[in-house]
Amino acid sequence: MSTATLAEVAETYRHPESLGNFLRDRNPITLLVALVSLAVVAAAVPGLITPFAVCAVFVLLAFAGGVGPAYTATYLKLWAVVGFILFLLRALLLDGEHVYFTFGNLQVTAEGVYEGLRFAAVVMAICGAVTLFFALVTMRRLMLALEMRGVSPRASYVLLASFQSMTDLGATAKVVLDAQKARGIETEGGLITRAKAFFPVLAPVFLSAMTATEERAIALDARAFNSPAAHSHLVQLPRTATWEWLAAGLFAAVATACVMGRFLGWL
Amino acid sequence: MASNGYFARLLRGYGRLTIFMIPIGIAINFVGGQIALLLKLPVYLDSIGTILVGATCGSLPGALVGLLSNAINSITSPQTFAYGILSVIFGLLAGWFGRMGWFRSFWLSLLSAIPFALVGGVLGALITIWVFGGLAGDGTGIVIGTLVALGMDLTTANFAAQMPMDILDKVPTVLIVYAIIRGIPKRLFVKLPLGYVYLGKPAPKLAPATAPATTEQQAGPRS
Amino acid sequence: MALASLRDVRFTYAYSDRPALDGITLEIESGMVHGIVGLNASGKTTLCSLIRGIVPHFHKGELEGSVEILGRDLLEWDPAELSRTIGCVFDNPFTQISGIRETVFEEIALGLENLGTPRAEMIERVERVVEQLGIEALVRKNPNGLSGGQRQKVAFASIIAMDADVIVIDEPTSQLDPDATDAVFGIIADLKAQGKSIVLVEHKIDLLAEYADRLTVLRAGRIVTTGAARDVLTSDELIAAEVPVPEVTELSRRLDAIGRPFVRTPITSAEAAAAVSARIQEASNAH
Ligand SMILES: Nc1ncnc2c1ncn2[C@@H]1O[C@H](COP(=O)(O)OP(=O)(O)OP(=O)(O)O)[C@@H](O)[C@H]1O
Ligand SMILES: [Mg+2]
Repeated sequence: MSTATLAEVAETYRHPESLGNFLRDRNPITLLVALVSLAVVAAAVPGLITPFAVCAVFVLLAFAGGVGPAYTATYLKLWAVVGFILFLLRALLLDGEHVYFTFGNLQVTAEGVYEGLRFAAVVMAICGAVTLFFALVTMRRLMLALEMRGVSPRASYVLLASFQSMTDLGATAKVVLDAQKARGIETEGGLITRAKAFFPVLAPVFLSAMTATEERAIALDARAFNSPAAHSHLVQLPRTATWEWLAAGLFAAVATACVMGRFLGWL
Repeated sequence: MASNGYFARLLRGYGRLTIFMIPIGIAINFVGGQIALLLKLPVYLDSIGTILVGATCGSLPGALVGLLSNAINSITSPQTFAYGILSVIFGLLAGWFGRMGWFRSFWLSLLSAIPFALVGGVLGALITIWVFGGLAGDGTGIVIGTLVALGMDLTTANFAAQMPMDILDKVPTVLIVYAIIRGIPKRLFVKLPLGYVYLGKPAPKLAPATAPATTEQQAGPRS
Repeated sequence: MALASLRDVRFTYAYSDRPALDGITLEIESGMVHGIVGLNASGKTTLCSLIRGIVPHFHKGELEGSVEILGRDLLEWDPAELSRTIGCVFDNPFTQISGIRETVFEEIALGLENLGTPRAEMIERVERVVEQLGIEALVRKNPNGLSGGQRQKVAFASIIAMDADVIVIDEPTSQLDPDATDAVFGIIADLKAQGKSIVLVEHKIDLLAEYADRLTVLRAGRIVTTGAARDVLTSDELIAAEVPVPEVTELSRRLDAIGRPFVRTPITSAEAAAAVSARIQEASNAH
């Protein structure tokens, strides 16, 4: 990495930025359309098979995108903490005709189990689409794609700067918290003690983050942030082929058909 | 032109510092929540930034902070997106209370915790009922499940679980917002859309969207 | 045409009880390095802000007197155009990194992107300033993880890359080591050779003596003295303003005091070396 010369680094910017993976090199917007369409299909088509199949497709896509293991781990955790509880609460609490068994006030019915599975799978399909999208696409590439489609660089600034501010402010807050500890201010112990530590740590950190916006505004203005000229872009995304837009359109059309089918009673 | 979209115009009209305040507000929401977790406090404290930006920059920037914080949260836990409307309302309300000068007074700031908690508690419970059928998969969901198992009906259980939680959360939130606003120097207030409230000045004559004439100028001729 | 022409300027920040600048009458010529010195809070940054239009457009306050920038009244300038015409490097390296770019290369290119510079030209210009500043090792790094000094170099490079005709630089070397400081001043000399005008706030008086053509000394918002760098550095007002004098000038003053003055007071070490060797020559000739 450090061996790359300036000329080599400069050269990389002369070409579209490829991540070396078919799926991850797609235009973030077409990818988003495709994934959202899949989630919509999962929600629109009744029954258990579709939502579960969509969830499985997401895992397969993650592997195709080269983020399989990490994504599977995240997704399973999401299933465990959200999906499972959604299922369990419904399975235990919803009334129905076909009672499997009862204990105390609780009654596990076939209807409850079905509703639980269905609801959990639909919610998880929606969650899966979102998490997969952000596993495949970085915020930077997404904003770049949006800017190319006419989104304001200011909108881009707000989002990208938010992530950086979260990192910076979080780091500062932890430094201050540790400094407080070192100065003997209690950050452990009873609830009141811990609650009392919250104010002196955070109020000054948040305040100075707010006052620093003044200098930030001036510094960015010096970088022509307020320039009325049309902006250009250093980093280029791979060209979006026509088939890619068509494919995205197809996904969207199928999703729309499923929704219409649901409401018009075809499905 | 691309950079002349609605969003750009909104931010420009709202004063040049607002666009830089929004990321800070979002970061404050997250770090507040993180530190609350770190100190093992039983509250979220994740709407400090929304209310702070609402109170100093106005309703729309506040709502935007709420919405974006929620959207960013949804990247890792997508089910929270259903509650996005809550954060938006917190921002809108904060702007409104800010304009009325509530955050200039300790007692009125404290009082504002009630409407915030009401929105959070009642609307939060309603969303849980509408979107998740009364059973969302989070910590409160388990409390609700327990209450139902003990014989309470689902709707009552939702309200019973949400309301106390929200009061407990919003009281320290508005207090820290009040403390921060007390510390903001005059030179910063001058550049914030609702700064006039805290400087004890009358509202600018023009509507906020066009008020800061020099701001408009600074941004360059774009019409 | 003068870069800036100020007449009887007084500026008081909103909600401040004391003017930050008062009775300022100053002509800053184009094509020169104009140094500004003074103690803390003497108004150096405020003066830079005024030339750049940040005062009174961004920092509000009461401005009296007349300010002309490149022959046009400050208040008639379109602020976006003014910020394009006058590049500006500030003293705090931590607020000058945009926070929205992931490599130093991209960070330096940001200003050019905002100006709509075509990609090929953008890459070339970034390469050039990176070489000038010798920060090749940083180009792939994340700018948000750099040290204060590294950030200061990146911030400087980012503004230089934008190639404005006038550059206002507020304490560019406060966090830099001697080598990096020399690199920055080398670039300032290059910029001047290219015909650019530079306004430079700097505490290192020895460097100003070497590079500045003109100097203005501020104290509590007022001008103590202004003029050719040599005249200012050898004047008594500099001492009155509690600004340190270059070491070699100080030496010459001491020699003056004991009745053995140099023919011409040196202000840089090169001049001092010449003067001293002339004196040695003189002495050996006398024997
Ligand atoms: N934005 C501002 N609002 C109000 N007062 C300000 C502002 N900026 C500076 N001042 C005040 O104006 C005076 C001059 O400050 P200035 O920053 O111009 O000094 P300086 O010579 O640059 O100091 P330093 O060497 O510390 O950078 C100081 O009293 C300062 O407190
Ligand atoms: Mg200064």
